[in-house]
Amino acid sequence: MIPNLTSIITILIVATPVLILILFLPAIIELKKPKDRGPWMIMAEIPAVTLSSIHAIAITNMEYEQKFDSSLIQPMAKIIAVLPSLEI
Amino acid sequence: MIIEALEVVFLFSTAVIIAYLVRHYVFTLTVLRRTSKARSNVAVDAKYEPTVSILIPARDEEQVIGRLLQRMTELTYPNDKLQIITINDASSDSTGRIADEYAHRYAFIEVLHRGFGNGGKGKAAAMNSGFERSTGEIVLCFDADYYPQRDIVEKLVKEFVDPAVGAVQGRPVVLNEAQNVVTRLVTLERIGGYRVDQEARDNLGLIPQFGGTVGGFRRSVLEKLGGFDESMLTEDTDLTFQVYLAGFKVRYVGDAECYEEAVDNWKAYWRQRHRWARGHMQVCFKHALNVLRSKKLNIKKKIDGLLLLHVYFMPVLTLVSFFSGVSLILSQSSQLVNAVWFFVPVSFYSVVGNFAPFFEISIGAYLDGRTRIQWLIPLLLFSYLYNILICTKAFLDLFAAKMLRKSQSDWAKTRHLGNGNGYIVN
Repeated sequence: MIPNLTSIITILIVATPVLILILFLPAIIELKKPKDRGPWMIMAEIPAVTLSSIHAIAITNMEYEQKFDSSLIQPMAKIIAVLPSLEI
Repeated sequence: MIIEALEVVFLFSTAVIIAYLVRHYVFTLTVLRRTSKARSNVAVDAKYEPTVSILIPARDEEQVIGRLLQRMTELTYPNDKLQIITINDASSDSTGRIADEYAHRYAFIEVLHRGFGNGGKGKAAAMNSGFERSTGEIVLCFDADYYPQRDIVEKLVKEFVDPAVGAVQGRPVVLNEAQNVVTRLVTLERIGGYRVDQEARDNLGLIPQFGGTVGGFRRSVLEKLGGFDESMLTEDTDLTFQVYLAGFKVRYVGDAECYEEAVDNWKAYWRQRHRWARGHMQVCFKHALNVLRSKKLNIKKKIDGLLLLHVYFMPVLTLVSFFSGVSLILSQSSQLVNAVWFFVPVSFYSVVGNFAPFFEISIGAYLDGRTRIQWLIPLLLFSYLYNILICTKAFLDLFAAKMLRKSQSDWAKTRHLGNGNGYIVN
C-alpha cells in the first residue's frame, strides 16, 4: 500500500532533520574534537610505548596488591592476637 | 514490456546486492571469530632467509623518496641478502638525485634511471624494468610514499616457505590520518579493506588480493607468468588472478604493517579511485571467464574471485537498481510494487554495505581498539555516493575506450607531497 503524497512529504520534512542529526552528530563532534587515538601505530614502533604502559600497569598492580595485602594482614593480625598462645 | 524489463533489472540487481551483503557479513563474522583453519600448516623455518629484492617505482617523488630509502637502510633483514632498486621513472624533479645519493652511500641500494624516452609509461612498465635488474629469489615492492616496519621483510618473506605461495600482501596503515576529513575516511576504508576483508579471505582460504605495494612475489612465479601486464592499469589485481590461475596462492600477512600517505583531497581521491575502478574492470573483462573455467580453483575461490572481480561494478549496479526501483514505484503498474517497498530498504542497506562496507569497517576499528573513530562512519555515506559517480564514469570511459579502440593504460599518478612526514617520530 502506497501512502499518499501529503503524508510522505510531512514525514520527510519531520524525519529528515532528525535523521541527519542522529546520523551525523557524532561524526561532527569527533571531527571538531578528535578523541581517537589514531593514527594507528605500526607494530615496529609499538614496543617502547607498550613497555612503558606495561611497566605502569605493573606498578599499579603492585601498589594495589600491597594495599590489598595490608588491608588483609591487619584484621588477620588482630584475630591472631586474641588467640591463646599455643606456645608452652 | 518496459515494466517487465525494469522488474527483471531490479530483481537481478537486488539479488546481486544481497549476495555482496552476505559476503560482507561472512567476512566480518569470520574475522570476529578469528577463525584460522585455513592457515598454512607448513612449519616456519627460522633460518629461512632467501635473497630479497625490493622494487621502489618512483616518479616525481622527491618529497617522500628520501624517507623511504632512509627506512630501507634501517631494515633488520641482513643487508647482504637485500637488493634495493629504486626505479626513477622519468622524474622531472630531484627524485633521481636523492636516490643516487643513497646508492653511493649504501652498496645494497641501486638506482635504475628510466628517461623520458622509455619511462613514464605506467607502474607496470617501471616494475618490469626493475624486475629485469633484480636478482632476489623473492621480490617485494613498496610505493615511494610508504614507510614500513623495520622487520617487515622477515614478516612477508616467511610465507614463501610454503612452495604454494606465489605472492604475499601486508597491511597498509594511513600515516597522515589526522590531516583532514578525506584522510580520515580513507583510513576507515583501509581498516575495512585490510583488517577485515583481506584477513577474512586469508582465513577462509579464498583469494586475498596482492595490492602492488607492501607485498611481493616469488621470482620464479613472475618469470613463469611473463612479468606484469603493461596494458593493465591495476597490474596488482591482474597479478593476483594470474597467480591463482597458475595454481599458486596469495597470503595476507596482517602483522606486516606499513605506513602510507593517503590522498588528502577529493580531486586526488577521484583520480586514484577512477584509476583503480577502471583498472579493476579491465582485469574483470580479462579474467572473469578464466576464473569460471579454471580447474585450479575450487568453487569457493571461484565465487570469491568473481565477486572480487566485479566489486567496482557494484556502485554502477546500485545506481541501476535505484532508478529501476524508483521507476517501478512511480509507474504503479508493476506487480512487484508492494515487494518494492520491501526491497528498497533492503537494497539501500546492502548498497551502503558494499563498496564502503560500514559493518566491516566498524568491526575492523573495534578489533584495532579504535572505537572512537567509528563515530566518523556515517560520513562514509558521502564517499560512497562519490564512488558511485567515480565507478560510473570509469565504466563509461572503459566502454568508450573499447568502442574507439583507444589505449586504456594511461596512468593517472597520485602526487605525494610529504604530508605524512610530520607524523613520523623517530
